[in-house]
Amino acid sequence: MDFLIQMIASGLSVGAVYALVGLGLNLTFWTTRVLNFGQGSVLMAGAMITAVLVARGCNVFLAVALSLVVSALILWVIEFVGVRPMLRIRGSMGWVVSTLGAGIFLQGSASWLFGTQAVAFPDVLFKSSDTIELLGAYISVQYIAVFVISVVIVGLMELFLRRSTWGYGVRAVAHDRELAALMGIPVRRVVVGSFLVSGLLAGAAGVLVAQVSGTVDPNFGLHLLILSFVATVVGGMGSAVGSLVGGLTLGVIEKLVGGYVSPAAAEMVAFVLLVAVLTIRPQGLFGKADTVKV
Amino acid sequence: MQFFKTKHNFLVLATAALIGAAPSAYAAETIRIGMTSALTGPYNEFGEGNRRAVELAVEQWNARGGINGKKIEIAMLLDDQLNPDRAVQNMRRILDDKSIVGIIGPAGSGPTLAVIDMVQADGRPYMNPIAQTPVITYPDGVGTKPRSNVFSFALQNDVESVAMGQFLAKKFKRIGVIHESTAYGVSGLEYLTASIEKNGGNKPVAVDSYNQGAQDMTAQVARLNRSGVDAIAAIGLGKDLAVLRRTMARLNVTAPLIASNGALGLPYQEGAGELTTGTLGTMIGAFSDPMGKATAAFAEAYKSKYGTDRWWGADPTRPQLFMAISVANGYDAANVLFEGIRRANSTDPKAIISAIESIRDLEGANTTYSFSPERHHGIETEAVKVFEYAREGDAVRLRPVAN
Amino acid sequence: MSKLVDLITNTWTLAVLCVVLALAAGFVETGTVQMWSFVAINILLAQSINLLTGITGQISLGHAGFFAIGAYASALLMKGAGLPLPVSVVVAAAISAGAGYLLSIPAGRVREFYLAMMSLAFGLIVYELAREWRGLTGGVMGVRGVPSAQIGTLSLFGWVLDSAWYFRILLLSLIGTMIAFRNFVKSHYGRAFYAVHVSEIAAGTLGVSQAATKRAAYALSGGIAGLAGGFYAHLVGYLTPESFGLMRSVEILVMSIVGGLGSLTGQVLGAIVFTYLPQRLQAFSDYQFMAYGLILIFVFTLLPNGLAGLLKTRTRYSKFDQLGGIGNASPAVALTQRHSDKAASHGPLIRVEQVTMEFSGLRALSGVSLDLQPSCITALVGPNGSGKSTLVNVISGLYKPTSGRILFKGKDIGGQPSHRIAAAGITRTFQDPRNVPSFTVRENILMGANRLYVHGPLAAALNTPHAKAEEREMLGRVEALMATAGLTHHAEDIIGDLPYGIQRLAEVARALASDPELLLLDEPAAGLSEHEAERLVQLIRMAADHGVAVLVIDHHMDFLARLVNDVVVFEAGEVIYRGDMDGMRSNQAVIEAYLGKEEVSHA
Repeated sequence: MDFLIQMIASGLSVGAVYALVGLGLNLTFWTTRVLNFGQGSVLMAGAMITAVLVARGCNVFLAVALSLVVSALILWVIEFVGVRPMLRIRGSMGWVVSTLGAGIFLQGSASWLFGTQAVAFPDVLFKSSDTIELLGAYISVQYIAVFVISVVIVGLMELFLRRSTWGYGVRAVAHDRELAALMGIPVRRVVVGSFLVSGLLAGAAGVLVAQVSGTVDPNFGLHLLILSFVATVVGGMGSAVGSLVGGLTLGVIEKLVGGYVSPAAAEMVAFVLLVAVLTIRPQGLFGKADTVKV
Repeated sequence: MQFFKTKHNFLVLATAALIGAAPSAYAAETIRIGMTSALTGPYNEFGEGNRRAVELAVEQWNARGGINGKKIEIAMLLDDQLNPDRAVQNMRRILDDKSIVGIIGPAGSGPTLAVIDMVQADGRPYMNPIAQTPVITYPDGVGTKPRSNVFSFALQNDVESVAMGQFLAKKFKRIGVIHESTAYGVSGLEYLTASIEKNGGNKPVAVDSYNQGAQDMTAQVARLNRSGVDAIAAIGLGKDLAVLRRTMARLNVTAPLIASNGALGLPYQEGAGELTTGTLGTMIGAFSDPMGKATAAFAEAYKSKYGTDRWWGADPTRPQLFMAISVANGYDAANVLFEGIRRANSTDPKAIISAIESIRDLEGANTTYSFSPERHHGIETEAVKVFEYAREGDAVRLRPVAN
Repeated sequence: MSKLVDLITNTWTLAVLCVVLALAAGFVETGTVQMWSFVAINILLAQSINLLTGITGQISLGHAGFFAIGAYASALLMKGAGLPLPVSVVVAAAISAGAGYLLSIPAGRVREFYLAMMSLAFGLIVYELAREWRGLTGGVMGVRGVPSAQIGTLSLFGWVLDSAWYFRILLLSLIGTMIAFRNFVKSHYGRAFYAVHVSEIAAGTLGVSQAATKRAAYALSGGIAGLAGGFYAHLVGYLTPESFGLMRSVEILVMSIVGGLGSLTGQVLGAIVFTYLPQRLQAFSDYQFMAYGLILIFVFTLLPNGLAGLLKTRTRYSKFDQLGGIGNASPAVALTQRHSDKAASHGPLIRVEQVTMEFSGLRALSGVSLDLQPSCITALVGPNGSGKSTLVNVISGLYKPTSGRILFKGKDIGGQPSHRIAAAGITRTFQDPRNVPSFTVRENILMGANRLYVHGPLAAALNTPHAKAEEREMLGRVEALMATAGLTHHAEDIIGDLPYGIQRLAEVARALASDPELLLLDEPAAGLSEHEAERLVQLIRMAADHGVAVLVIDHHMDFLARLVNDVVVFEAGEVIYRGDMDGMRSNQAVIEAYLGKEEVSHA
């Protein structure tokens, strides 16, 4: 029983982070149909900047706030140099190359500035030895904090997307860019906004994950990025709730398979799950079916 | 007809490449060596450390007048970033240069396994400073014939696991092992299990693996814990061991952690923070107090050339233990190679190899080296010790544990 | 400059260059030959992903999976079963092709982002299997001792292959693959693959099954990548799962994209650049990651069409150039003369019986019945939203009717997939032209003839005399159609750059190139100039003269008046009038439908 609880608790915590990263990917995908392969490095940047600032004696909250701002700005720059020019060239898929390049550039810059080795990440949210006992199982307070913060952010985003003018703009642009422009929606501003918010989400996710792993290095984030892709797809593109359900499902299944079968099998389960879900429901669990226009 | 044009470009570029790769003029007045390692990228802790060590050794020999009057030159210093394909390409470039006399190899088991067959086929002396998998030196297993031209200065898995196995067998009944899923981790597990059993211990009750860069190990630790382990033995890199240690704390697992050398490095200390206290790890003992004469001399020379950098460690007054496997191994590898060339007084591969095989009791930074035609590795079990992070007042220090 | 380009595009120049390379391999350093071999392998990989992503439009982020399957298969077959090199690499390619075929089953169902993720998952599943299936792959310890040219352990029938000979064999295989690939791309298969890329719907109406095309593309692409894998295994001699991770997949895709998707030439350039780039970047030491990143970020801003754009070459999708034009083939026939004996009581060519079409409760067609005769041109008119286009979509198989039957030559075709209906001889055009914008006018029209080809994929790749003769015959047909449509002087122009009217005419010509029995035209005259409309009338008349039944939707009454024999008027999904033009003009129901009851009573 305690074993099961531990698996589920850590699965929920990890899964919530997948959802957070996934939502960031989702946002920019909605508005530009571009998948940001550099997002993993933005996570790294968020965590790295926090770690370095705190190590130099900066206040923790200020450090986190600064790193979130920088993460958002990074995505704004990526949009400007790596996405906008590519969208003018139809069918070239140049965005794969440019966003990947942005990620590699960030990685290289971090190695150059802070070295290639893992840097300690400070205990911002509790310590890893802080645990509570639930039904005989020890559960880390850090996990609970990561879970709660992630779910709250995703929830707020959902609300924001549904209620705010900007959220309406995002949905309109996602539905049909040209139509949105005709309706007088400032498409450019909506797109830039989606990148800025995506950057904020990535920065926050980076800080949360670094809290769990304890260190951050320039390579940080790639593995998480892949699993977040998977979570997003399983949940269905175009749905914040889908991202959350996809992330949590993936996180829990991964830990359960890891715990009851083997950790090696857990590495594969995400991808098998992805193929299985898409084979049965090509639009993901919560996605809307592609309507074919004639 | 379009793609015909590209053939032309192919040729132009290929020709350019050919010119670029053209052999440099043979210079008999210097002893030329080649090296490929992870000089940049995520694994450059070892590669860059080794480069510094080799350059230091070269500088020292040249200051003494070179080898039998000939200066040593690092004729090729290539960066493979621990990528197997890149290592193969780099090694080929080195082997193509027939004026290269000796070679120092990559910073990990993966790329080393990728190049080792072609190095053996080539026949020139090759020093393996870092890769811990024993099949690199002894392709048919430890105790069998070594590759004729390959000498190892790495802390081989079989050697490292002896000290850890003895310690575990003596103190614990229910041992759980966790290892990274790499060539290093897998062969480490194999030798550790053998060593525990050889020393009269029980076979590990649980074994699990993780991928490098894992950010959470709940499943693995909980599995080990469920098996009722009284000690967790771990084989992996420092950063990942820190994640392991944190996960253990989260699940309130109190069994002690006994880890491979990675636990003694800076990344582990950074990542585990105050949880480092109590962690045990195996390491070449050369840099623990009291340092031997040769070790102290190396440390002094290193400090005066590079200062107290991150390979030296946090404490300016003494080098970190970890230097043994990130820097000193490369230093010893270069020195033994040069000593072999000196003794052979020739650049003929066979002569150098038999000269190295004739080396007995040569003081190095890490240990005292003796080679023979059957024995091509330098670090032996007595050089390895188990250390423990212990609190001394405000600081946490590494102390050897009485075995 | 153009002279130089001409010189080096000469087949003989190419042959000489290849021979020079093959000979030079014996004289340059082993490392140089090894790099050439890496380039050759990367070219194969780039072509492989180009076939799938560039030509067929199916993005792949898992190509390292195919590469790994090929590499492990060939290594293990040679090491374990002692198969000789040519057999082991070919079997490896076949196994990898099989994996591609299997992947196409789930992958064929998804698009865009979902497809990217599914292919990514495929690649990572293969990678994890390579790591964990220790009994087969050696797990993370890898496969050691694979017979390899560079250490002299690779032999072919007792003859030890050195690096130079290995490169020569590889070069030969590469050239063979590229020539076959080029021929294939220039055949009706290549055009079908590209059609699926541009529009799956339009491809269906050309008689191209998108499912079958995707399966073929995945299998072929997997096969080529597997071949590359086999050669890789015997080049390096040691396999580790780390060589087949996500980064390899991404590198392959980047190589192909930077080279220029869709261009065969570009792939070669991309492969060369990305084989040498990391080596050259070593000079930047600590800055190499940053330099690499910057190159990737800005390469597309600087080279919008990839490296292929530098050469201003385009991959052409017909054998027109290869055949040296159509030569003096016998005067081409644009259409088959069908002798339709109207008197004979075989019944109509097509009979629509009580067809109803509902979209989530909304009734677009309700109980429509309609006959069409060969050689007869029928107009279909009615207000917007009266169901005209819906009927065309139902007949051409884009919609499955809710109820009712559609009998084509006596057989019920209602609800069959569009490619099957097109293959049976029913061709349509769309309201907005669905051409392939990057194709020339000639290629677009030639695409229409797709259903008529009988030669198989192997013949297409090998350019057998039969394949060439067939292509020549179809090109002749296209030439005749272009002459009638007045498009001959636009034959070599890229259709996307031409005025709208020309594009429409070309689309009608493309429809006729399929030699249809029933032609459905959805507003073909919209946006045409006087002159172009005249050409259109000639084309349609020619079709009718050859026995084709034609149904034309249009609003242009003057245009229809000089063309049609018969008019059908739709209103709210029902036929309200059928007869001649004059009758329609005086029909009360039609007037009401067009002008509304109010206006009529006031009038």
